Amino acid sequence: MSTLLYQFLTNTGYFLADYRHVIMLIVGCTFLYLGTAKKYEPLLLVPIGFGILVGNIPFFKGFGIGIYEANSVLHYLYFGVTTGVYPSIVFLGLGAMTDFSSLLAQPKLMLLGAAAQMGIYFTLLGALFMGFLPKEAASIAIIGGADGPTSIFLTAKLAPHLIGPIAIAAYSYMALIPVIQPPIMKLLTSEAERRIRMPEPRDVSKKEKIIFPIAGVLLCCYLAPTALPLLGMLFLGNFLKECGVVNRLANTAQNAIIDTATIFLGFTVGGSTQADVFLTPKSLGIFFLGSVAFSIATASGVIFAKIMNLFLKHKINPLLGAAGVSAVPGSAREVHLMGLKADPHNFLLMHGMACNSSGVIGSAICAGILWSFFI
Amino acid sequence: MYGFENITANNGWAMAVVGATIVFLGLVALSFAISQIHKILELWENRGARKERQKEASAAEQAQRIQGPVYKTHHLPTVNDLVSIYRPLAGQLKEPFELSQLFEISNKMNLAHPHLSIKKLWEADVLIAQGDGSFTWNKQKGN
Repeated sequence: MSTLLYQFLTNTGYFLADYRHVIMLIVGCTFLYLGTAKKYEPLLLVPIGFGILVGNIPFFKGFGIGIYEANSVLHYLYFGVTTGVYPSIVFLGLGAMTDFSSLLAQPKLMLLGAAAQMGIYFTLLGALFMGFLPKEAASIAIIGGADGPTSIFLTAKLAPHLIGPIAIAAYSYMALIPVIQPPIMKLLTSEAERRIRMPEPRDVSKKEKIIFPIAGVLLCCYLAPTALPLLGMLFLGNFLKECGVVNRLANTAQNAIIDTATIFLGFTVGGSTQADVFLTPKSLGIFFLGSVAFSIATASGVIFAKIMNLFLKHKINPLLGAAGVSAVPGSAREVHLMGLKADPHNFLLMHGMACNSSGVIGSAICAGILWSFFI
Repeated sequence: MYGFENITANNGWAMAVVGATIVFLGLVALSFAISQIHKILELWENRGARKERQKEASAAEQAQRIQGPVYKTHHLPTVNDLVSIYRPLAGQLKEPFELSQLFEISNKMNLAHPHLSIKKLWEADVLIAQGDGSFTWNKQKGN
């Protein structure tokens, strides 16, 4: 009887756990704390945080339990991540939720979305400098786009073994926007620049909104066909929303579908951070490069806005450059809040959303371009 | 391999420059395209009105050509002269038309004494009343 009891005890997670599991449990609890108590991107951090807890419960390998074990339930759920299915579905929902009116009213703000993608290419060089393989470097670089699904999609294609750390880094920095972006924005802009008011955007007709997804998919996907799984779905979702004849489909895409995909995406990405796979020196390098990528993306957007102001008659508020990263709507909100601090009547949210939307398109194009470099 | 050597060996510089350029050009193209959508739509939606304006302009030009010698004297022209002035204008209207429509067009063309001229055409049976307030152009007399 004592042998049986001893055998049972040695099979428990308490017996099998080591310090790495404890570290990951702390990381998971931190995510849950940030998501629930601080309300930093709760829709992402809560499923990821819980996934980290589940993924770091030690077990005997070979019984088809873990996410990396063939034929396990978690492995099947993880299939949506490794094949890039979940990111595509998330983009469908994102398209159905996004109103591109502010972007259509001020197309020049799209350039800020392009400028903010420079963080991706600087990080590509940084990752290569640090000795990462080219495909790994490209996957790490896409963190600079500040777009979780895009990062997961590209990493699944180029460096599947890094999905865990890259996804965690991407979502962590998205959640930490209120911490990372404001100091950079403040450093690069003067008080007077932060007070620049943007003109009221013009009214955008229904027809324009309907034509935009068609023009967008044709222009972007002909340019970078490898971005099709993301941009094709994004623009499809937006067309469902704007055409006005398939409201049922649009409602499902912007509620049930994106919510389901987000739950499975977050949970399985969290679950993929098993301590033995996740806690490696590479992960530390990825986290470091991720923060560099995000900071450079923010800075390049702001600096580009200032450069544009040298040529524009009606100046744009350079804070908007920081919203060129595709963290929707976090970065637009930060820009808005910082604008309000400088001038309580300066409302930048809608303009920030225009930059954010173009950032989403820009980072998906970047993912397509980087992938195409390795085909 | 580390450092610049790794970047160069893996074509990193080229990837960064080409990638950044492509995404920039792509978004510039998209931004240009969406900045034109509303202009193209406006042109498309106003195509009917534009055609009408062109028609009016050509009718006015024709009327102006005739108007010159006729109104120099500041007297009401003869019925034949009035027919040659008003025939193209009545041609713009779908028969049967109301006199107010003809009056409106002649006003737009800045023709002198439109009221009296239309009255004279009516009295000369060039404009024929249909009995319900509408009129048609008498093709026999008005040619």
